Amino acid sequence: MSISAGTFSFVADLVRRCSAIELTEGKEYLVESRLLPLVRQADLAGVDEYVDTLRRVPHCAEHDRVVDALTTNETSWFRDFSPFQALTGHVVPTLLARRPNATSLRVWSAACSSGQEPYSIAMACQQVVPDLRVDITATDISAEMLARGRAGRYSQVEINRGLPAGMLVEHFARAGTQWALSEQIRGRVTFSQHNLLDPPPSAGPFDIIFLRNVLIYFDLATRADVLRRVRSVLRPGGFLLLGATESTIGIEDTWEHLAIGRGFVYQVNPSGVL
Amino acid sequence: MSLLGAVGAQQVAQIAQEFFAAMIDREPGLLTSWSHGPVTVTDPMHAWVGLGTVPASRLQLTTSADTAGALTRALLSKGEAEPVADDDVVDALGEIANVLGGNVKALLAEHAGITLPEVSRQLPPGRGGVGAGEALFAWRGRPLVISLYTL
Amino acid sequence: MRALVIDDSTTMRAIVSEMLGGLGFDTAQAGDGREALDLLESGQRFDLACVDWNMPVMDGLEFVAAVRARRQWPYLTLMMVTTEGERGQIVRALAAGAHEYVIKPFTPDALASKLVLLGLLPVRELR
Repeated sequence: MSISAGTFSFVADLVRRCSAIELTEGKEYLVESRLLPLVRQADLAGVDEYVDTLRRVPHCAEHDRVVDALTTNETSWFRDFSPFQALTGHVVPTLLARRPNATSLRVWSAACSSGQEPYSIAMACQQVVPDLRVDITATDISAEMLARGRAGRYSQVEINRGLPAGMLVEHFARAGTQWALSEQIRGRVTFSQHNLLDPPPSAGPFDIIFLRNVLIYFDLATRADVLRRVRSVLRPGGFLLLGATESTIGIEDTWEHLAIGRGFVYQVNPSGVL
Repeated sequence: MSLLGAVGAQQVAQIAQEFFAAMIDREPGLLTSWSHGPVTVTDPMHAWVGLGTVPASRLQLTTSADTAGALTRALLSKGEAEPVADDDVVDALGEIANVLGGNVKALLAEHAGITLPEVSRQLPPGRGGVGAGEALFAWRGRPLVISLYTL
Repeated sequence: MRALVIDDSTTMRAIVSEMLGGLGFDTAQAGDGREALDLLESGQRFDLACVDWNMPVMDGLEFVAAVRARRQWPYLTLMMVTTEGERGQIVRALAAGAHEYVIKPFTPDALASKLVLLGLLPVRELR
């Protein structure tokens, strides 16, 4: 199966406009492979047909999913930014208001890739609640990603992606051609291997769970499964954060969502079925 | 020991490869160590920046004029057949030397300044041709020499 | 949104302008800090300045300091785009009043991600 030139140029144009990333000629295979999960989700025959449906409607969440699917290999610090604003501006203050004597918060960064997400969480918390112990469990299915996360060293190109300059100078030091994260921040994150289809990590229950940009890879039934597992290790009153274009709506109805800034945070509906 | 020896040829290679992957090729793997025997750069162009080390040093980039044109097109996202003005090539090659030089100098123990890039068909004063202190690369099969030396 | 791209390299100015253009910015260019300051003083309004450090006549650090000292353009976001990558240099630039810092080499999505941080670019928007 291969995609039409018209399909490719539509997608390339969309991706360029939303992310500045250039999909040059020759990347048709990438468009095809990255969009196939979405095609399956939409229950359509192929990528051309799927993209045709996008042409007919104004920009919406589905267009964003396409952009996401094609840019997900670009791991970023503080990805999408607004979830981290939600973290420091709403989630953490709400949790602490409920439990003023809390001495620690537990966070799970699921599908943490090379570590930018859990470390971003650590840096964000360091900024707003420096005296609070924040234990971050970072899991991923890939041993290679976990090794990179544990090392806490990033290239110059990686460091440019989404990391505020102020955070760079505060938490990093040059290490040859790379930048190394401080021991203080690294010490807050524990990396371990985990498959989301398996029982959740034993380091729970968690106050906050980041499950960002990974549900997209699963079919609807599996997404519901994963969300149920995640829910089982979320403390009452705890928060779930998903990717910018993701939602629990239509997948699992025991969640309620709250709009914070440009995104949403999710909590278990207290009156819902558990 | 040459400045290149002190800084480390491997680190220079890392810098160059990251730069090329990010801004010139937009994919990794097209800048590799030269492994095709002795290097001969025909119709060479040289671009260099001075580093304010003590004593002063220089990062120099040497490649053929043809390759310089190809590099310019790649940087500017132009097609292989698109024309580029001589001024554009001079500027582009100088900027490549600038980016390489700036990143190399960040590896040094002491902060050093950097001069504005110069580009010429003639070798800069105080330097000979291919010799010690060079990192040799193949970019899309074409030779590219990055040398680092004290003045 | 209007951006001023300040760099003594025509190549780099073209690259950055192209990237910003793709993200929906109108762009203007200047070859050094002095030229850039002249443009600002002529009354042209910019939301963003991408500032190289090492330039003739007036370098990027001087430009940033001059802009902040004048206080005339409080809505102008100043982002360094430079090869100066030592931690000490970044500290100096931020202290002089730069809002953000991109080290060359960079990818277009890195530039975009910095603009998201600065609130100059919505996370996702059709243009």
